[in-house]
Amino acid sequence: METLTTRGRVTRLGATALGLVLLLAGTFWGSDDDFPFGPFRMYSTSNPPNAPAPDTRVEGVTSSGVVVDLGQDATGIRRAEIEGQQDRYAADPALLAEIADAYAERHPDADALVEIRIVIRWHGIRAGRPTGGHTDETVVSWQAPR
Amino acid sequence: MSRWLTEAVPRGRIAAFRTVIYLFVAADLVIFTPWVRTRVSVPGELYQPLLVGRVLPLPTPTPALVAVIFWSLLLLALLAATGRAPRLLGWAVCALYLQWMIIAMSYGKVDHDRFGLLIALAVLPTAGRARHGDTTRTEAGGWALRVTQIAVICTYFLAAFAKLRFGGLDWLTGSVLARAIIRRGTDLADLIAQVPYLLIIAQFGIVAFELFSPVVFLLPPRWRLAMVGFFYSFHVVTIATITISFAPHLAAMTSFLPLERVRPMLWARRLLGRGPAGTASETPGPAHADTAPVRLGDHATGADLAPPGDEAVVRADADLAPLGDQAPVVGRPAGP
Repeated sequence: METLTTRGRVTRLGATALGLVLLLAGTFWGSDDDFPFGPFRMYSTSNPPNAPAPDTRVEGVTSSGVVVDLGQDATGIRRAEIEGQQDRYAADPALLAEIADAYAERHPDADALVEIRIVIRWHGIRAGRPTGGHTDETVVSWQAPR
Repeated sequence: MSRWLTEAVPRGRIAAFRTVIYLFVAADLVIFTPWVRTRVSVPGELYQPLLVGRVLPLPTPTPALVAVIFWSLLLLALLAATGRAPRLLGWAVCALYLQWMIIAMSYGKVDHDRFGLLIALAVLPTAGRARHGDTTRTEAGGWALRVTQIAVICTYFLAAFAKLRFGGLDWLTGSVLARAIIRRGTDLADLIAQVPYLLIIAQFGIVAFELFSPVVFLLPPRWRLAMVGFFYSFHVVTIATITISFAPHLAAMTSFLPLERVRPMLWARRLLGRGPAGTASETPGPAHADTAPVRLGDHATGADLAPPGDEAVVRADADLAPLGDQAPVVGRPAGP
């Protein structure tokens, strides 16, 4: 058997303890910013049993009035990333121009976008179950300067 | 505690785990999280580096930088999967993958599915050399597997506390699953959502399973494997309903399994008819120690098997000291 030296054992014990302390601190006081030791907060927010659920999407309008979906495939930006930075977009809608740029980069031949908006579709929920109904709300929109 | 933390495992298990993890890193680059490469076309304005990215002087990703990291990480991960130069290649892959993840997570969304994988990458370089099929036991390797296991279980256990912290007790009776199904549910999930109270019961079930997950370390080996099987089945359900794969976590969780039994190269060679057929070609191991003389020379020489001398030493060793808490060693490779 290949055994550890005392030093090897002590170093490993110390590293394990340090990692656990960082992870526990991250869990109770940290945030996503502390990656990889942040809290495991996937699906951790609580939603009341009757609160509608948001389904966020980004869409653009071309100069000819066509509405295009600006999902991850179209821009390379993930939906959760739009949601994660939604406050930034709301404070400064001109940031949405970056999404138009990301779209143009991937679709050089497509019509230019004249408007970009972040739309939340609110799905109804009753007693923890979807009702099937929904309403759309435009939370941020930006018009391209002409 | 120190004994448990460094409980020895066969080197063959380390070799197999290494191959699994580094192949996963390569697969992650091209299959599981290929969107990281698309950061190239996402404007730098949207890059909001994480704490670790601000502490380390990492540059805002440019197309050239992302391309260099992608290709070097892919090449080095594939090389590391062979088990050669475990320290040099292991540390290089660890550093590059961390940088890759900092890029991936710095655009407004952090994923929580890869703590176990990152720990595995950080400890594998310390596990020393290991060849496939080698039954010599190693404490350094045992520690690497153990801390990966702990990281995997922490991902469950501490998630329950994160739910308490961010969602409170209301999480249990809330509509988090209904919300997840609306946002990314499959047809199967839509069907399940119709059943009254089922989603709320599932929410209680999830927290109970997360809180009880550390029990896996207290179970006898067979039950432990069964519980790990249950963990995997939980993820099968989440994939089938809300399309959340947690793939890196699933790769790290193989640290619980007696991976040394899985010998695809050996089986392939056997199927190709190189070596005697049937039981005569099975690798002798601890279970057959007294009856099976060394037959290694007949077939499958090379990197796959330990030298006979080594094997003999180990067999005595394995007989004297059972593996205790780590997954049991089984005498011969399972398979065709």
